[in-house]
Amino acid sequence: MDTTAFRHLMNRAGFGPSPALWQQRGKRDTNEWVAWLLEDSRGARPLQASGAETPERGERANMTEDERQERRKEHVRMLFQLNAAWVDRMASGEGMLCEKMTLFWHDHFACRFPTILFTETQHQTLRQHALGSFRDLLFAISKDPGMLSFLNNQQNRKEQPNENFARELLELFTLGRGHYTENDIHEAARAFTGWGFTLGGEFVFRRAWHDTGSKTFLGKSGHFTGEDILNIVLEERQTARFLTEKLYRYLVHPQPDPEVVDTWSRLFYESDYDLPRLLLEMLLSDHFYEARNLGARIKSPVEYLVGLIRAFGLEFQDERGIIFVQKALGQTLFQPPNVAGWPEGRAWIDGSSLLLRMQLPRLLLAREEFDFAVKQEFAGNEEPFRLDRDFRSLQATVDWDRLAKGVKVSELPEFLLAVPPRSDWKDLADQLRGPMIPTQAGQKAAISLVCSPEYQLL
Amino acid sequence: MTSRRDFLKLSSLASAAMFTPRFLMGLPQHRPVFEGKRLVVIQLSGGNDGLNTIVPFGDDRYYRLRSRIALPERDVIPLSDVQGLHPALQPLEAMFKDGHMSILNAVGYPNPNRSHFRSMDIWHSGSDGDTYLDSGWIGRYLDHACAGCQAPHQAIETDDSLSLAMKGEQRTGIAMGKPEVLARSAQDPFFVASANHQPADPGGDLGFLYKTLTGTMQSASYLLEQVKRVPAPLGFPVSDLGRQLALVTQLIQAGAETSVYYVSMTGFDTHVRQGPAHQRLLQQYAEAVAAFREAMEKAGQWEQTLVMTFSEFGRRAEDNAGGGTDHGKANNLWLMGANLRKPGILNPSPDLDKLDDGDLAWQLDFRRVYATLLRDWLAVDDVAVLGQRFEGLGLV
Repeated sequence: MDTTAFRHLMNRAGFGPSPALWQQRGKRDTNEWVAWLLEDSRGARPLQASGAETPERGERANMTEDERQERRKEHVRMLFQLNAAWVDRMASGEGMLCEKMTLFWHDHFACRFPTILFTETQHQTLRQHALGSFRDLLFAISKDPGMLSFLNNQQNRKEQPNENFARELLELFTLGRGHYTENDIHEAARAFTGWGFTLGGEFVFRRAWHDTGSKTFLGKSGHFTGEDILNIVLEERQTARFLTEKLYRYLVHPQPDPEVVDTWSRLFYESDYDLPRLLLEMLLSDHFYEARNLGARIKSPVEYLVGLIRAFGLEFQDERGIIFVQKALGQTLFQPPNVAGWPEGRAWIDGSSLLLRMQLPRLLLAREEFDFAVKQEFAGNEEPFRLDRDFRSLQATVDWDRLAKGVKVSELPEFLLAVPPRSDWKDLADQLRGPMIPTQAGQKAAISLVCSPEYQLL
Repeated sequence: MTSRRDFLKLSSLASAAMFTPRFLMGLPQHRPVFEGKRLVVIQLSGGNDGLNTIVPFGDDRYYRLRSRIALPERDVIPLSDVQGLHPALQPLEAMFKDGHMSILNAVGYPNPNRSHFRSMDIWHSGSDGDTYLDSGWIGRYLDHACAGCQAPHQAIETDDSLSLAMKGEQRTGIAMGKPEVLARSAQDPFFVASANHQPADPGGDLGFLYKTLTGTMQSASYLLEQVKRVPAPLGFPVSDLGRQLALVTQLIQAGAETSVYYVSMTGFDTHVRQGPAHQRLLQQYAEAVAAFREAMEKAGQWEQTLVMTFSEFGRRAEDNAGGGTDHGKANNLWLMGANLRKPGILNPSPDLDKLDDGDLAWQLDFRRVYATLLRDWLAVDDVAVLGQRFEGLGLV
């Protein structure tokens, strides 16, 4: 496969190539690489906070204040572990496309919980369906206890409907603004009355709370249940379009091409929301590899962090360092800002986040000094990922041999950047002519390349 | 004959001139001292307990709801027959007596949210309770402010990173927690070389990145010049808020062209044993703000300065068994400055009989305050910034 196209495919469908994968780039053509990506992501890929047992759900009422404190600490410890384990998994490259899509769904169905239970269950749901059928995913996430809790459907009963879930279902998850009325929200909320979860964290349909009356939703009338609403929403071509367009922004270009989106969304709809079918179409299209798409998107902080770890084989000595980078750059996994998910593209960048992105590699890879404090915590139990304000333990080790084995010094710009380095970069050419990594010149070139504005693009 | 010392002086000057980075060329060397109006926002993070800040000591219901943590009437500094200041706010008593404080009761928004994150998100973005915006109200102020206000240092947050409030759709403010950190960036040769670069396609994302870098480096250099011009002010208490307001003071004294300063203070999430913690926080707040007013008056800048203090929500009307308070809804908010048109307490003390599920019900939408500040103080189109029209409050 052509180097530029290979780099683009790995950037978008994953988190960039590892040095070992980079070496393999010529061994397969486009079809084979795309097939490999899908094949490598096949099957269940669960992720758990490592080695710890999930704390039991118990009667909080029976616990002493000390026991509660202890329990909270345990939850926090496990959330840290789950976060670090996911970053690790993404950086490993194992099932890259599945990880990339799980990240997409985490942003699409954006919830946050102060405890491990809802977090982990929901995460498994997203993972399980990340590369399956969107129909299955939508049904599963709509019955996910975390989702029902986060959007207050546990309080949705016929005497007092709560519209929160119904509203976000239509606005954020399926149709998008402008494709439904306030009355549709109201009627859908009635259909979801009685959907809740038990103390044990299982979905439950509370028949007594359900409004069995007739509802009129998107022009159809009947004694609709929640399932009926989901089916009707999936019958709408707009749902396929809304999702295809969002996926286009994620994988192809921040400004969608309406004609291409049209074609792809028709295919997605006609396949009954088969995600592998849509992804295959996208990743194999000539359109995907067009010059205008190369390096056309600004990395999210998680893509930035994972890409850095992956390229350099970074190992953080203290896993809190992984959390620190996420917090400092404004995207902490499992903590989206609100149910609409994280902002996209240019919204990641302001003066301080850009300077920080351009400094972090020097700190991590060259151990330069550094002075930066994450925002002060303010949210008590709502904020599980707490760090001391003076947390500075960002030491990491770099596997320079691993890099040297897969990547020639002269290849570093292509390996690390989605666009060419700036033309007036004086020392770079000399460094790239220098001896192999891990010598000074090669390392310097690698570090300055990832400190550049160009590195922020993928 | 040139002495060695003179020579060094000369040569360092010469080299400074020789090495003026390209990205700083063409910028005015001596800018006029900023004479415009400025807004200082103080964010109390965690949900300040407004009922124990502006205390309704004249309302029996307050004592019934708060048997554990109510402040005794004898300790409260009375402002009216009904409401008074927490004793720890004594340093601000004069502020009120001098007519330099406007207190607004029961400020909130429809569909209130008791999550810190979501409620802060709403206050930062200025969205409705059920909509989501990716930009903040001060950032959008920068988007819509006058043509000469394009530099990031038009709005400064005294922290190492920017809050959502400071990020607009096109422009953002700048974060300056510690001047020396910004200085290191501004002088870093790699950054300087990058900031000098002009990319081929200035409209694309790469162009945007370079433009952001160059703008940040220009603002960083500018701010460092300002900080060097005047010494760090004395008389501020040793606290995080004190440090932040001292930096704001220094920049104002130097004449920095900044119209919004954003500072924050955390720790207000007082679920258990609230009393001593809240007392300490309010005392830190009051001492720092009193020092700020004094410094501003001394510098002749108080007339041009308006301070708004807010928190993402108030706390439940009733205290909890742990001697603390849980997340609530509406809250009070206050403005301080010499040019208030309605000093005092603007609207009645919250009705403790008409609670919204145990919380204070909102009477004033916080965006009416924003609209007032934007239009009447910062002289910008408030509807463009907020996306909706909100009735002004005639406060300034």
